[in-house]
Amino acid sequence: MARPAVILVGADKGGVGKTTVARTLVDYFGAHQTPTRAFDTESPRGTLKRFHPELTEVVDVTSVSDQMKIFDTLGSADAKVTVIDVRAGLLSSTLQALSEIGFLESAKKGQITFAVFHILGPSIASLEEIAETARTVGDANYFLVKNFINNTTFFEWDPATYNSYFKKIKGAEEITIPKLNEMAYEQVEVASVPFVSFVGNKGAKGEAANYSFVLRGYVRHWLGNVWGEFDRVKLVDMVSPKMESNVRQVAG
Amino acid sequence: MSFRNSITIVASPRPRVGKTLLARLLTDFYSQEGRPVAAFDLNSGEHTLVQFLPERVVTANIRDINGQMALFDRLVADDDATKVIDLGHESFEPFFAVAHQIGFVEEARRRSLAIAILFVVTPDQTSVEAYRNLRTRFSQATLAPVHNELLGPAQHRDKYLLAGGGAVMVHLPVLAPGLRRHIDKPPFSFASSNMGNAVGIPLDSHIELQRWLRKIYLEFRELDLRILLADLQSSIRIQSQST
Repeated sequence: MARPAVILVGADKGGVGKTTVARTLVDYFGAHQTPTRAFDTESPRGTLKRFHPELTEVVDVTSVSDQMKIFDTLGSADAKVTVIDVRAGLLSSTLQALSEIGFLESAKKGQITFAVFHILGPSIASLEEIAETARTVGDANYFLVKNFINNTTFFEWDPATYNSYFKKIKGAEEITIPKLNEMAYEQVEVASVPFVSFVGNKGAKGEAANYSFVLRGYVRHWLGNVWGEFDRVKLVDMVSPKMESNVRQVAG
Repeated sequence: MSFRNSITIVASPRPRVGKTLLARLLTDFYSQEGRPVAAFDLNSGEHTLVQFLPERVVTANIRDINGQMALFDRLVADDDATKVIDLGHESFEPFFAVAHQIGFVEEARRRSLAIAILFVVTPDQTSVEAYRNLRTRFSQATLAPVHNELLGPAQHRDKYLLAGGGAVMVHLPVLAPGLRRHIDKPPFSFASSNMGNAVGIPLDSHIELQRWLRKIYLEFRELDLRILLADLQSSIRIQSQST
């Protein structure tokens, strides 16, 4: 049996598009026919749950009973991949908790595949966060995600400073989420459906919808680019080495 | 698959090569065939398509997302209208860039809409390259070069290879010099009810004009039939493969 994979999506700040990245990940594994479940830590009401209600459970990652719900079920759940959308500011403490329960130890031994998607904010403060979390994660697959989705003038820091932080994490890789047209993004928000459903012109329950073809086209193009990034870092091989990779076609 | 309707795009990256005249003729041709037509004008300035045919043409722009939605969503809409687009030279690149990104041709085909690009050919390198670019980017569309005979002999035609199902070179014959002034003042429609009255057009000019028009309509009809035939052939091929 394939070993379970856990992907932590986090940031030290709110409003950097963490949940958006988590949504593209859930869609990505869905397109690869990989059973996936997701945990949303924005209790009591999660954004991720709004888009993927069937796969998502809202949890409080700091409570022991919810930690059990997530980590004790890794081996028994049908889902191969567990995506955890960590609430803003909780990334360090979550990693700390994972270290305490011995989770990071199992990851190190190769019993569990563990990856961290660290969504970067526009300020230097979040770079210091990298240094802090880097100490805890150890051998995890660490991805630094530059999220340009909502804002084009995002990364204006000094590249030298950035690189010095970047190098502190062994084997860290960079992922770039390109910009998506604001109106297209907004319409997906309004529709409250997965990106894949929006592209396929479907509603939350799979019924035919009537979204703008232009906006669907933009979302499809953008999602294709995002998945291209996931393909590039070999995300599928990582969570399940046997799986067929390079499913790039979004819909139809 | 068989085509339900068509979208024809009149294009060239050069100004003043006869695009608007071609779009006017196409719009009137389809009207005369009894098909409901919706035409879109992406030009700026004087004497554009909408001024000639205000009743069947709307202006469009693709500078912002609202304009793009108004245009492309309407183009693929399920409304049984045949569509004609007069693409001004300034809109050439932005239009095809957006069309490519949003997968316009693929979506149109999914909805059984044939896409034909009528490209007015000129000898310059910019046009040749723009044409070659369209061939690679829109392999599913019919790409038909148009030789506007007013621009002189088409010695450069071998640079414009036909592409897509049913493509054929379309000829736009020269209209006798004295006749141009009868058709160049907007609003003006070639559709028979207007032309039949021949308001202000002397009889011999009128006959000459009709003869010219028949030649062009024949070219359009030929292109239309070839596109349909190519579509039919490919669906027969698919059927015979599956049985």
